[in-house]
Amino acid sequence: MKIKTFVLHVIFLVGLLSWVSDNENSWIQPGKGGILPAEVAFSNPNGTLGYVNVDGDINMEGHPFFEPLGTNGRACVSCHQPKDAMSVSTQSLQQRWNETQGQDPIFAAIDGSNNPKLPQQLESSHSLLLKRGLFRISLPWPVKTDNGKTIKPEFSIEVVSDPTGVNVDPELGLENGNISVFRRPRSVANMTYVMSPDPVFNIKTGTLAVTDPETGKVVGMNMMADSRHYTQKQQALDAYFGHLQGHNTLTDVQLKQILDFQNKLFMAQSHDKWGGKLVENGEPAGLGPHNMKAGKVHILANNNRDPIFHWFNNWKNKETMPQSLNAEQKDFRESVARGNDIFMFREFWIRDATHINSLGLGNPVRRSCATCHNGQMTAQDLAPGWVDLGTTTYPTWTENHLANQKSDLPIFKCTCNKNAAPHPFLGRVIYTTDPGRALISGKCIDIGSIVMQQFRGLSARAPYFVNGSAKTLHELVDYYDRRFDIKYTEQEKTDLVNFLSVL
Amino acid sequence: MMNLEISIGDLQVRIFKLRLTNILVLMLFNSLFISAIFAQQKTRNPKSEIRNFLTCPIIRDSKTFPCWLVEYNGETYYLGQQGRSGSLFYPPQLKHQVLVEGRIKDGSRLCGGIVLEPVTISVMPELDLSCNTLLPAQDGLEPPPPIPYPENAPFADDTRNFTILFDFDSDFLSLHKTRIVGEVVRIAKVNGLKNIVIKTFRGTTLLSNGQKLIEKEEIAELRAGKLYDIFEGLGFAKEHIKLAIKTNPEKADGIIDVGKRRAEILIF
Repeated sequence: MKIKTFVLHVIFLVGLLSWVSDNENSWIQPGKGGILPAEVAFSNPNGTLGYVNVDGDINMEGHPFFEPLGTNGRACVSCHQPKDAMSVSTQSLQQRWNETQGQDPIFAAIDGSNNPKLPQQLESSHSLLLKRGLFRISLPWPVKTDNGKTIKPEFSIEVVSDPTGVNVDPELGLENGNISVFRRPRSVANMTYVMSPDPVFNIKTGTLAVTDPETGKVVGMNMMADSRHYTQKQQALDAYFGHLQGHNTLTDVQLKQILDFQNKLFMAQSHDKWGGKLVENGEPAGLGPHNMKAGKVHILANNNRDPIFHWFNNWKNKETMPQSLNAEQKDFRESVARGNDIFMFREFWIRDATHINSLGLGNPVRRSCATCHNGQMTAQDLAPGWVDLGTTTYPTWTENHLANQKSDLPIFKCTCNKNAAPHPFLGRVIYTTDPGRALISGKCIDIGSIVMQQFRGLSARAPYFVNGSAKTLHELVDYYDRRFDIKYTEQEKTDLVNFLSVL
Repeated sequence: MMNLEISIGDLQVRIFKLRLTNILVLMLFNSLFISAIFAQQKTRNPKSEIRNFLTCPIIRDSKTFPCWLVEYNGETYYLGQQGRSGSLFYPPQLKHQVLVEGRIKDGSRLCGGIVLEPVTISVMPELDLSCNTLLPAQDGLEPPPPIPYPENAPFADDTRNFTILFDFDSDFLSLHKTRIVGEVVRIAKVNGLKNIVIKTFRGTTLLSNGQKLIEKEEIAELRAGKLYDIFEGLGFAKEHIKLAIKTNPEKADGIIDVGKRRAEILIF
């Protein structure tokens, strides 16, 4: 018995040591096996991202999240890499392309290239993935049902231009009932926060909130960019058949293992390259993976009583900081604390944002970032969080112009029916690179609305926004500054970037 | 006047005749309810104090909260201040005209505008890019302190009739309206009531300039369909939900038109 125990310990330690030694190049290959420790940290450009798994160490061998269960060699982990905040960064993708000469399963033709019919050996055929971190999402159009109910779309779609060619392909495109949009994969950690449901009514639609068909319980709608699936089980199955090109199905046991893993994994930045260790004696309470694990879910926190990421009082004044910190570290902490205050309290005119300004707050409304990013610890909207922020819709999109034929994303023209309520701020003819939620609901008002994401692990998963249009956190802040004419000072921008980088 | 009663089974709309007794009960209730609500308002609201008009909203910044104004016939009126989703006053939206249905409170001014109270505003759905006025803050032009949220006390358990008022041309159920829906369901459960009658209406507003604004033709049906889905989703059996959809527009008098864009709900 003692020998058996000893052998098991040796096996565990060997696994752990191999993990640690391989951590520098910590891309997890499907089916590789090994141990994912209960507490582990991965480096990123701004420091390290820490994880806590409530279930302890995870043996990746045989675990359905890490095994290639489909036919193309991919696993869930392919696009949800711990190193990249359970998403995937363009830095990792480019490195992976170079290391494998494009042979890694993540570049699978089905959705890891701009168009499955392009020559797959060419880097240019995967430019959207390599440069923006975007996977192709093919959806049926016109949509016929939403949440089990028959619907008739309120708008028609034309392809204005498509450098990928996929939307004008007779087999893959609109002509054959498909529309392809390109989107970033979302983090699958801190999921107890992400999945937490609002009450019985959906404040965005004024209708009943959706329920899990198996349990009948109200569920949240903040998991996916367009809320097309609102249970993790539905999403896992869809990913199995789609991204993994599976031909059988996932068993109940496998689904449970995948969901357990996602729901018990908490992550947040734990060290900053300038600021050092981010959490000491549990403070600041809004930082670090242990505080994520301990936090309460579904707390509306856009207030001055207990803000989204709590308070950074000990970081506001150099005199209250540990003497062991150097001057630069103290400066950095002060900057983060200012960034938190800007995020929480710096007001500006929030304007023309569908599902914010159109929902009873008025257009414009003079509020702060935290008005919409209102959920404690994640800064996701507690309500179903789809908003047309303008990242995908003309005229506020950042990189595509109607006359610019070099645009790398497809551009669609959506024309709303005369009888339908128009888009509140863009009317009845809308140009967009991604109709977003409207591809699922069929509603004109939803064109361009994308569900907001959690703010955690941002340093590890550039680029940002659903279409990867902000390559850095500074570009992300710049977008808001332009979009809402906020007129941030350079110091304010730096403070916000520093703040976002430590979440 | 045309009254339709529609029962939906398997999402198929079928037309039935309402049982005479139910019609009588419902009509009696409606008449009494509307009369009771508005008789008092009529006496308080001489027509000279009523202001019903369609115009562009104006937002004025201030040291405290932004306030919302409108101009009509050379006069500025105060509608309310910026609030939150729980506030009773939902402000207008630039880029859209707003239908204002209000009464001059007492001639007092806030933010430079004559106070309309009570006031109901409806955001017109079509875009009007000329509605784009944001005025800077000016000393002395501030709204009052934020109005406390409504207490939202539960309805009495013996309540059987409920009314939900809608914005013009809208079937949207805001936070305050879904609260009423929740109370209907709660009281039905408390009392073991399984039957529900939903009667929806299409409104008309008589504007102060004499013109009439009629809601779109299908609005009563949209309101009924939405409420049907919700009550069915909250546990009422399909066969116990009766819809009465009144598609002819209500008559307008310029005084109580807000109260006619409604759904009346009876549980028994």
